[in-house]
Amino acid sequence: MDSVKKSWVFRITIAWFTLIIFFAIFGPLLPLPKWDQVFDDALSVTPFKQGHILGTDSNGYDIFSGIIYGARISLFISFTAVFVGGTIGSAIGITAAYIRGKFDYVVSTLFNVVLSIPNLVLSLALIAVLATNVDPNVPTSTGRRIMVLVISLTIVIIPILGRIARAATLSWSNREFVLAARSMGSKDRNIIWRHIVPNVLPAIFAVAFLAIGVVIVAEASLSLLGAGVPDGTSWGSMVARGRNDIEFAPHIIIIPLVCIAFTVIACNYIGDVIRKQLDQRQAKL
Amino acid sequence: MLKLENLEISFATNRGSLHAVKGVSIEIAAGESIGIVGESGSGKTVLSRASMGLLAPTATRTGTVTFDGKEISSLSREEVRETWGTGMAMIFQDPMTALNPVRRVGSQIMEGLTVRLGMSKADARKRAIELLGRVRIPDPELALNKFPGQLSGGMRQRVMIAIALACNPKLLFADEPTTALDVTVQAQILQLLSELRKELNMSMVLVTHDLGVVAGHTDKIAVMYAGEVVEYATTKDLFARMRMPYTEALMKSIPRLSTPSGSRLPVIEGRLPDPTKPEPGCLFASRCPYAQEKCRTQHPDLTTDSDGHQYRCFFPLGAAH
Amino acid sequence: MLLPAWSRTLTTTIDGNTAHLRPADQTLLQIKDLVVEFDLGGGRIVKAVSNVSLDLVEGETLSIVGESGCGKSTLGKAILQLPAPTSGSIVFQGTDITKLKKKELRNVRPAMQMIFQDPVSSLDPRFPVSRAVEEPLKIWNRGNEAERSAKVDELLNSVGLDPALVRDRRPYEFSGGQCQRISIARALALEPKLLICDEPVSALDVSVQAQILNLLQDMKDAYGLTLIFISHDLAVVKAVSTRIMVMYLGKICEIATPDELYSRPLHHYTSALVGSVPVPDPERKVSATLLEGEPPSPLDPPSGCRFRTRCPAATELCATEEPMLRLAADGHYVACHHPRA
Ligand SMILES: Nc1ncnc2c1ncn2[C@@H]1O[C@H](COP(=O)(O)OP(=O)(O)OP(=O)(O)O)[C@@H](O)[C@H]1O
Ligand SMILES: Nc1ncnc2c1ncn2[C@@H]1O[C@H](COP(=O)(O)OP(=O)(O)OP(=O)(O)O)[C@@H](O)[C@H]1O
Ligand code: SF4
Ligand code: SF4
Ligand SMILES: [Mg+2]
Ligand SMILES: [Mg+2]
Repeated sequence: MDSVKKSWVFRITIAWFTLIIFFAIFGPLLPLPKWDQVFDDALSVTPFKQGHILGTDSNGYDIFSGIIYGARISLFISFTAVFVGGTIGSAIGITAAYIRGKFDYVVSTLFNVVLSIPNLVLSLALIAVLATNVDPNVPTSTGRRIMVLVISLTIVIIPILGRIARAATLSWSNREFVLAARSMGSKDRNIIWRHIVPNVLPAIFAVAFLAIGVVIVAEASLSLLGAGVPDGTSWGSMVARGRNDIEFAPHIIIIPLVCIAFTVIACNYIGDVIRKQLDQRQAKL
Repeated sequence: MLKLENLEISFATNRGSLHAVKGVSIEIAAGESIGIVGESGSGKTVLSRASMGLLAPTATRTGTVTFDGKEISSLSREEVRETWGTGMAMIFQDPMTALNPVRRVGSQIMEGLTVRLGMSKADARKRAIELLGRVRIPDPELALNKFPGQLSGGMRQRVMIAIALACNPKLLFADEPTTALDVTVQAQILQLLSELRKELNMSMVLVTHDLGVVAGHTDKIAVMYAGEVVEYATTKDLFARMRMPYTEALMKSIPRLSTPSGSRLPVIEGRLPDPTKPEPGCLFASRCPYAQEKCRTQHPDLTTDSDGHQYRCFFPLGAAH
Repeated sequence: MLLPAWSRTLTTTIDGNTAHLRPADQTLLQIKDLVVEFDLGGGRIVKAVSNVSLDLVEGETLSIVGESGCGKSTLGKAILQLPAPTSGSIVFQGTDITKLKKKELRNVRPAMQMIFQDPVSSLDPRFPVSRAVEEPLKIWNRGNEAERSAKVDELLNSVGLDPALVRDRRPYEFSGGQCQRISIARALALEPKLLICDEPVSALDVSVQAQILNLLQDMKDAYGLTLIFISHDLAVVKAVSTRIMVMYLGKICEIATPDELYSRPLHHYTSALVGSVPVPDPERKVSATLLEGEPPSPLDPPSGCRFRTRCPAATELCATEEPMLRLAADGHYVACHHPRA
């Protein structure tokens, strides 16, 4: 672990996370223009020109503000989806693997079925179902759209993390200390809480970080397909808005893309670090 | 083949540094077999792990480990990994934790074969079946598709042995390889290891607490106590003329078929000294029936007598005092 | 025997293989016709324990020896209902525990404890030693914090570990043998009546092994502990047991007192077993008559006597008919058509 902590990749990753989380939380308090404030005199300016650090887009929105506000939405969506989906998925996966039998069979089949549907197709379908108003003329509100986005991505996450939790539980619940706890008369609930959950948690965390990356990309893709956050900003919708200007003002699309890429890579890296630690612990190296 | 020189290993623990292996020097030639015996917790496993470059991150090591002419600590992690399987292999003491519980036995055996030896899937499978057969697992094809949890303790141990032997290592560390096996299978496995040693000129370090096992299958024996090698001699010599009071005590406490049933077994009273607190005298002094004042204050050095028999005692057995 | 073959099979099915059982009212534990099957999927079923009957009188030590994979651990776990056996009855202190409801079974659990075979994996890697040993006491709310702590120290001491040194350390910091001692301490915490020890000393060196065996002996004397002792070390088994049961491929071959069994093994498998014990003497060449032949597949065990594919004395009869346990000498039962003289 110490050698990892000293590596510069690890430090950069942590720095990047701290930065975007800081912006996501305190962004609106910073003395910056609102993301949707239009600078009529500065359309599509390149970075560091006319007082816009990262330039503006073709609507005259300040890109730096957009990134900061967007971090808020993007991170909110991905963290919530992963947290809620992970919790539900883990609960189901752990229970199924612990009690085995029919329930486990049903759960693992369901997981596999859902996992076989590509993420995007699934979330698009869910959005289509959840976000349609009874009266098609009344547009759905931004808040509701975000909720729907979160819910559909949560549903995508459930089987991903659920399957990991199930596999990890299967491996731990075969250990003799679980048998020992049962033979001592421990209740199943206590065995799960005291012996299983703490041991499977690291494995789940490792994959959860990967999942955050997956969700950020999914959100961006949905925006591109027009199913993202409308009239709002997230990194994904910034990419979506900028795609028409790619020829004459590529920075509009490149900047949010770089943020997405960095965050996804950082998530994967952290997930990898956790997984490696885990492997080492398991191999007792 | 393998040369340990003045190997010292300590672990950082929250009670300070735990000195698990102290100044061990051992040399193993190709085709040679060395037994390491000693009390539980005396550092046998740590010693073999260290030789493989497999220590926990909390461990610090001084001294040198030379394998095949290369110093292990001068190698990168990747290079050390390279030697695993084909160079050195280890039969781990606790199969359940060393095997991956969610992967089928077959794929765990075949992994080394396909990755290290570049075998095709089909060949690897054939070899895996052959290996399982050699370690006398009934119905090898069936076992191939089982998960470790579906095997008996002894079968898991034999799967570990099969994995360690898969790539024909030059040096095999067998850490208590037969503890979970009944005597008939144990005899067969030990026979198999001896055969392989002849066939492939494999060297072997046999870590065990069973003096009966080392007696028939090793050329030399190192007796460890509290992290130190306290006696080191050829197997024949050791059994014929043991010099250390500790070895004698160990021999005496072996339960034998001839001991009448229901009798109390002889024990070595007391326990190992605290490995975090250095002691000035002989580490065995508090339990040694021959201990004298000198033993409590001075630390005995490893002495070599004329025929190469090494021991660490001021008052060795069979000498006049 | 004069009876025709079919009638003998008939008696078997009616009678079961129970000649060696003692009257039920004298026993602490009586197991009848225990079967444990594992479903490997695809219609393949392994019968790990097949129709085993055994009993234990209070204060007795029954040792189970047998080839690796013959079902010893499975039998031990089945007694604790981990998992519950496929069929058969297990009467413990007068109640058939296979018929108990989950709650009732839980109340019986403290009286039966087991030391599992794999010492390292039987401890939760995240629990420090003190917590591991205290756990059973906590589950059953025995004593207050201080009393429990004192009990933990006492237990650790009695298995030869210094409480002050080991309390706060975690399992991976211990050697295999030290882990084994920790799990023994934990199993003794609830002062069980029946203790099933699955290879409790195989990870230990001889001196600690002797300490542990003596400790179990003391515990037996102090608490009237009854032991089932699974082991492959025949010398150890001889020292500790009142009776020894030899198993092969899920079935009982022979039951006898230790002295009788070693001096006069009647079953051909037992004699191979006794002949393979390694001797601490380099001069004595491996005279061991290595058991010939391949171990049979548990999926498809040989008909008749399960040992017949490797038995030097096998005949036609052994293939067609399963040998039943029968009395050969006082307290010595054997399941063999042609026992050794
Ligand atoms: N990762 C670790 N952290 C701290 N201490 C350790 C670690 N691994 C081993 N030790 C300590 O090192 C000493 C030697 O342990 P080792 O496993 O080598 O014993 P052993 O001789 O193999 O015993 P056994 O026969 O019981 O397996 C023990 O006191 C043990 O507590
Ligand atoms: N959970 C399981 N699923 C499938 N098969 C199993 C399972 N547990 C045990 N078996 C099988 O049952 C048989 C008996 O296993 P068991 O562990 O009882 O043997 P054992 O006598 O304790 O052997 P050992 O001395 O090697 O520990 C083996 O063939 C094993 O493969
Ligand atoms: S040096 Fe002294 S205490 Fe140590 S083993 Fe020899 S006689 Fe015993
Ligand atoms: S019944 Fe037959 S095959 Fe079985 S042990 Fe006896 S003689 Fe051998
Ligand atoms: Mg060890
Ligand atoms: Mg077993």
